[in-house]
Amino acid sequence: MSSQSKLSSVFQDRSLFVPAALFVVLILVAAIISPRLFTVNGLGGAILVATPLILTTLALTPIVMAGRASVDLSVGPLLGFINVTLIAWLVGNGVTNPVAVVAWVIGIGAVYQLIQALIIIYVRVAPIIVTLSSFLVLSGVNLMVMSSPGGVAPDWMMSWGAGTAIFSPVLVLLIAAFVLWGAVRRTAFFGHLRMTGADERMAYTSGVRVDLVRITAHVMGGVFVGLAALSYTALISSGDPTQGSNYTLQAVTALVLGGANLAGGRGGALGSTLGALNMFLISYLLSVFSFGNVTGFVTQMAFGVILVASLLVNVFMTNRRVAH
Amino acid sequence: MNTTFADTNSIKKSSIGSFRIQRGIAIGFGLLAALLILGAILVPGFISPRNARSILLLAAFLGLASLGQTLCALVGALDLSIPYLIGGANILFPSLLVAGLPAWLAIVVVVLLGAFIGFGNGLLSFKLQGQALIMSLGIGFAVVGAVQLYTSLGSAFGGTVFAPVPNWLRNFAAFNGKTFGFPVPPVVILWLLLTAAAIWALYNTWFGRSVYAVGGSRVAAARLGISELRVWTAIHSVSGAMSALTGVLLLGFSGGGFVGVGDPYLFTTVAAVVIGGTSLLGGAGGYGATVLGVLVLTVLTSLLVGLGLNFAAQQAIVGLLIVPMVAIYARSPHIRFQV
Repeated sequence: MSSQSKLSSVFQDRSLFVPAALFVVLILVAAIISPRLFTVNGLGGAILVATPLILTTLALTPIVMAGRASVDLSVGPLLGFINVTLIAWLVGNGVTNPVAVVAWVIGIGAVYQLIQALIIIYVRVAPIIVTLSSFLVLSGVNLMVMSSPGGVAPDWMMSWGAGTAIFSPVLVLLIAAFVLWGAVRRTAFFGHLRMTGADERMAYTSGVRVDLVRITAHVMGGVFVGLAALSYTALISSGDPTQGSNYTLQAVTALVLGGANLAGGRGGALGSTLGALNMFLISYLLSVFSFGNVTGFVTQMAFGVILVASLLVNVFMTNRRVAH
Repeated sequence: MNTTFADTNSIKKSSIGSFRIQRGIAIGFGLLAALLILGAILVPGFISPRNARSILLLAAFLGLASLGQTLCALVGALDLSIPYLIGGANILFPSLLVAGLPAWLAIVVVVLLGAFIGFGNGLLSFKLQGQALIMSLGIGFAVVGAVQLYTSLGSAFGGTVFAPVPNWLRNFAAFNGKTFGFPVPPVVILWLLLTAAAIWALYNTWFGRSVYAVGGSRVAAARLGISELRVWTAIHSVSGAMSALTGVLLLGFSGGGFVGVGDPYLFTTVAAVVIGGTSLLGGAGGYGATVLGVLVLTVLTSLLVGLGLNFAAQQAIVGLLIVPMVAIYARSPHIRFQV
């Protein structure tokens, strides 16, 4: 394990090769089959649709990097929870002030992930169990808050979902998220995060406060989930309690497509973004082909095959040896 | 637990493990009793042959689907392809019947396909270990997509298969099914037999002890000449076959092929394993514990339904109960004790 972590910076670069190559191929195919994607409308719509997934994948990234195989299964339902509470509780009670809305989405995301991190660290139950149970709880609670898709987004957000311009507020949101990530990357915390994920015992004995690192990683993830929920609300202009599990599965797939190691220590914003963009491009291309009433099945199968293939390629690219 | 070679790697560890398991089983029984008493007080007709039959029937499906998940958890893996294989089998079986295969042959084909897919899953995920669950998820997506494509070829109804379900299968798995005249659906008997066989095999066969050995310590297992790859692929094959079988049997229960029928099993199989007390890290637990977890989960659901809660509320309450349940007996040691 320790030799692996020493080389992890090398692996970081090599692991980006696959998603980057796939991205180039997909962009080329899209340019040939559907040049419409590269018009102002096409790009505006693409940014609008891809942003919630990119941000959800970014939210998963620090949590997965912290190690202990802690894939946060609950990010999707948490996104749904923020979405439905925003629509049903805030807008439903006449609170539409942009500052209040942004504070709400980020606050709920951060507080929820803080609670989850505290349970993982102090109750010391395996992360996958904690996030599994919070997946179930939130999926249920979302349906109790709002039994079916409905409601309306605040007025000022309505124009966000038009997708007719490249420089839309959603793009600003996305750039803000990248700036935030870039800022965190420059702190000592980021190095500690990678150390903790690569080998928690080594990090602990080197004086890294692994508990604090883990809590910070979760809170950071929570902030990104909040931003993802905001962009998702802009996308659908309403509340939807049912899309949570879908986003969890897509974000985990995107994360793996982006070359992150679910065992921890390896991953980054660039890889995750590429993974999410690849996911978007794949479903976009499949929707361009007309498969009639089986499009959904083809998409599902394609996701599965690509997920399997990228996992295998990651293994061979990094030539990772299983050491126990 | 010290009857065979498998525990020689770490006697201390295994005795701690068995203590934990026994405590887990005691807690499981306590919880089950508490739930039954609560149900008897709060819900009229909760303790009745009718309700017992419906609980056992639902528990049988969950139990069959959880067998593979338990084996996977014993070596530290999770199989997330289970719901997709169940859904795939649930629509593939009737479409094979429509294609003219006799029912018995169709079952054999579906179960063998399930085992084969599980085998492939094990083979592909072996090198990935920590990411094995995502591999199984990908396999699940691919399989269910492919099966839906196959069944909707030349059919106007994408994803839904209409075929007459054989009467014996209906009797086998439906609520009012009878075994030799007794008002118990045969699927419950099948589950009991398989439970006995699984518990016996885990404790008394070379394969069963190998599963615990690999889960307990891979290095020690390898020193003993146990092929980790063989164990890993074998348990995934079992998981695939059991998922396919569950999918076929669920057709007898529901009466119509539906690909989404497996969806609840994604998390309930994991929950049953965890509530039973099998560690997801491998090496400790067993199918008996999972059976207890399955019963607790099914009785709890039945109680919540009896109290008039809808599906969303049931899901939330089951989720809330998992962490405290696991915290009672499956806490990991503090990092300072792991150095």
